[in-house]
Amino acid sequence: MIFINRQIWTKTIKQVFFIALIVLVAGFASNRLRSDKMPLVEDWSAKSNLVTSSGENLEISLSEATNLFKKGEAVFIDARSMAEYDAGHIKGAISLPYKEVDWKFVEAMAGVSEESAVITYCDGETCELSMELAVFLRNAGYKNVKVLSNGWSAWKQNGLPVETGE
Amino acid sequence: MKEKIKQKFSLFLYHGARIALGIVFIYASYDKILHPATFAKVIYNYQILPGELVNLSAIFLPWLELIIGSLLIIGVWLPGSIFISNILLIIFFCALMYNKARGLDISCGCFSTGTDDGFHSNFNILRDFGFIVISLFLFFKVFISDSPCGRGSS
Repeated sequence: MIFINRQIWTKTIKQVFFIALIVLVAGFASNRLRSDKMPLVEDWSAKSNLVTSSGENLEISLSEATNLFKKGEAVFIDARSMAEYDAGHIKGAISLPYKEVDWKFVEAMAGVSEESAVITYCDGETCELSMELAVFLRNAGYKNVKVLSNGWSAWKQNGLPVETGE
Repeated sequence: MKEKIKQKFSLFLYHGARIALGIVFIYASYDKILHPATFAKVIYNYQILPGELVNLSAIFLPWLELIIGSLLIIGVWLPGSIFISNILLIIFFCALMYNKARGLDISCGCFSTGTDDGFHSNFNILRDFGFIVISLFLFFKVFISDSPCGRGSS
């Protein structure tokens, strides 16, 4: 029976130990040798995710975003799904679901000049759609793109103008 | 005669399961070993591990998969690799279930580091469950069953 057969368990423990040893060596070695080494421990807090690979922080604070909104100086882009957008979004925001960005991009961004301030948002602190969309837009030529972290929730909680429907 | 066929069939099942599971693990490790940084992001998105462990898992987990996959195929250190394979698959299963329950829409990261495996989370859970069945079968064969294939494999 399983617990009586002591021999096989001793063997198993030994093997697990050696497998772990090999994995440690292989993992360390491969990580050291590769050009894009990773630090073994890294800061994975929500904020650090809003920094591009070139080190630029794309985050915009809620107060800054609100200011731009009031002056009408920024275009808000909703990176969530169409259904979520319909259920409620920042007033005047354009819907550009990141998952459909490839074929919705041209139509959605038609009226937005590359020079204008663009703020992407989604929902939840760890939602990555807005950041991914921001990187996409920057690559597409938009020079002034920012991410409003936890955008939809923060916006709603502060009682800022919202609207529903398409 | 009948007994012999039965034994042969059981042996065939055992080796088939061992090699199939080995291939699954190696296939799963390949993309992750090539792109540890993307895999780290996938792990981070699961929001289960504390931040300090994200990179460590992204660096070592794919190698663990590759090595137990290879051991399963070669057929050495079977008790150890089958034991680890069961634990891994059960952890993956729990992680998938946990995020399904939380309604988190994230990429599985099961076989690739891409943002979308193209499969629904239910499918991923079911697939993992299938692997667990195979892995448990091997566990049974090696740790419990008295059949000859369970013994002697060092």
